[in-house]
Amino acid sequence: MASEEVKKEILDDLKRAVIEFDEDLAREASNRALAEGVDAYEAIMDGLAAGMEVVGQLFEDQEYFVPEVLMSADALYAGLDILKPHISQDDARKVKGQVVLGVVQGDVHDIGKNLVKMMFEIAGFTVHDLGVDVPLDKFVEEQLRTDSDILCLSAMMTTTMMGMKPVIEAVKAKNPKVKVLVGGAPLTSEVAAKLGADGYSDNANNAVLEAIRMVSSLRQL
Amino acid sequence: MQAEMTSKERVLNLLSRQSVDRMPCFSGMGCVTVAGMEKLGIKFSQVHFDGEKMAALAATTPEMYGFDSAVVPFDVGVEAELLGAKLNPYEDSEELLYPTLRDKVARTADDLKIPTDLTRQGRVPVVTEAIGLLRERFGDKVAVGTYVLGPFTLAGQAMDLNDVLKMSAKDPAGISRILDILSDLVIQLAHVYKEAGADYITVREMGASTGMVSPRTFANVVKPHLTRVLNSVPRPVVLHICGKTNSIIRHMAECGADALSVDHKNDVAVTRAEIGDEPVLLGNLDGYNVLVFGSKESVRQAVKECIDSGISAVWPGCDIWPTASPENMAALVEAVREYGGVRKA
Repeated sequence: MASEEVKKEILDDLKRAVIEFDEDLAREASNRALAEGVDAYEAIMDGLAAGMEVVGQLFEDQEYFVPEVLMSADALYAGLDILKPHISQDDARKVKGQVVLGVVQGDVHDIGKNLVKMMFEIAGFTVHDLGVDVPLDKFVEEQLRTDSDILCLSAMMTTTMMGMKPVIEAVKAKNPKVKVLVGGAPLTSEVAAKLGADGYSDNANNAVLEAIRMVSSLRQL
Repeated sequence: MQAEMTSKERVLNLLSRQSVDRMPCFSGMGCVTVAGMEKLGIKFSQVHFDGEKMAALAATTPEMYGFDSAVVPFDVGVEAELLGAKLNPYEDSEELLYPTLRDKVARTADDLKIPTDLTRQGRVPVVTEAIGLLRERFGDKVAVGTYVLGPFTLAGQAMDLNDVLKMSAKDPAGISRILDILSDLVIQLAHVYKEAGADYITVREMGASTGMVSPRTFANVVKPHLTRVLNSVPRPVVLHICGKTNSIIRHMAECGADALSVDHKNDVAVTRAEIGDEPVLLGNLDGYNVLVFGSKESVRQAVKECIDSGISAVWPGCDIWPTASPENMAALVEAVREYGGVRKA
């Protein structure tokens, strides 16, 4: 079992690896975490995910842009690939749940959606990613098939955002309990409410922050 | 009394900083309406592959509303198709959707194959036919506009956007090689369109906006290639980038375009403070929230704000969403006439 000092060092390395988009360090620190007996879930949440929180803020502050966020995500995945298999399946802290995720029809922008997917995966959700340009029927079908708790819709253009309304109506008609989160550059809380969504984030940057906040609140569970 | 200028003269004079009788009301990007489609009895999905229908629809905008321009095409897939991508026009969709591209066509620079004679490739013949028909229909009266993508935006379409973005940070030589190849394509295409009769061309580089890459990346990676493109295509040429462009506007102004186009996320007053009153600045009407959801009064108000903030000519900051009402389109033209006044060179 690692001493507190060693654990802190490892967590700091994991965090730094993400912020500095250092895939090698992410892998090294993840392996060290396992070797030193640091709990895998803790390493992910307090190391990698904590790093992504900082990245989200740097993006919000316009110090990091999309390329940097993508590279940080790569480092995070490098660590996650090593650590994830070592999370005990019945870990009570691990959030279990299903998410159906996709970009609405007519829209092919997926970076924001992919970052949200990553944060859900870190938190332990099972993500069913429908990809981009997804027709209404496909969203409804997949939500019913998976009985997912959350449906996440993404649109990066004002013009495709309107396509969310019929999807939300159709899904909720079939399953009123599902929570719908919408995201993408043109969204606002007012529009999200008009579309019938339960929550929103307004650009790729805030999608990450929103997802991180969701993860943070999940981390506090 | 001197004869009024034609729309074409007005547009071309504005773009070359010569005097105009009044501010033109035009666009460099898609500006067709559902009302126009209904008048012709055609669906949006039908026009992208048919030169006659494309021209007929583009013509409805000046004819129905009094715009000074007619612009073709309506989608941004022509260049990527030349590289092998397939366009999806959503024929079966009940909702009007702009076409999108299916599949990526290149993983590396070596995969980028530029056809030799563009005039016969992909949908170039459709667009050139449409340009020619508009030229015939309008003679020298209405300005015929067209557009090409900037090389960085095209790279993001042809290749995995994640790869392109990461390369822009990690592999400057690699991305430069790609942008070089794509710049050649875009330059050639612009010449083909000009030959077909286009009066002015807009280079659309929305992929390099600050929502994607840093101002530093814009300056180091994108700007050199954009500058080559803008100095190699037939003039007049407009550089369009949407999004929060204040932090790159000075770079944009140095790229060599005859005019700059910005959208409603650009603070024009701040832009003018930075680049001065000389450069021709087009924009920045919100073609969606204002033209589609706004009242006639809000259209007028928006036009007035654009003009007051220092725009040289009001134009929508992106493709118009086609459900913009005829009343709003007419209100736009009227407001530009009312507030546009007499412009000096």
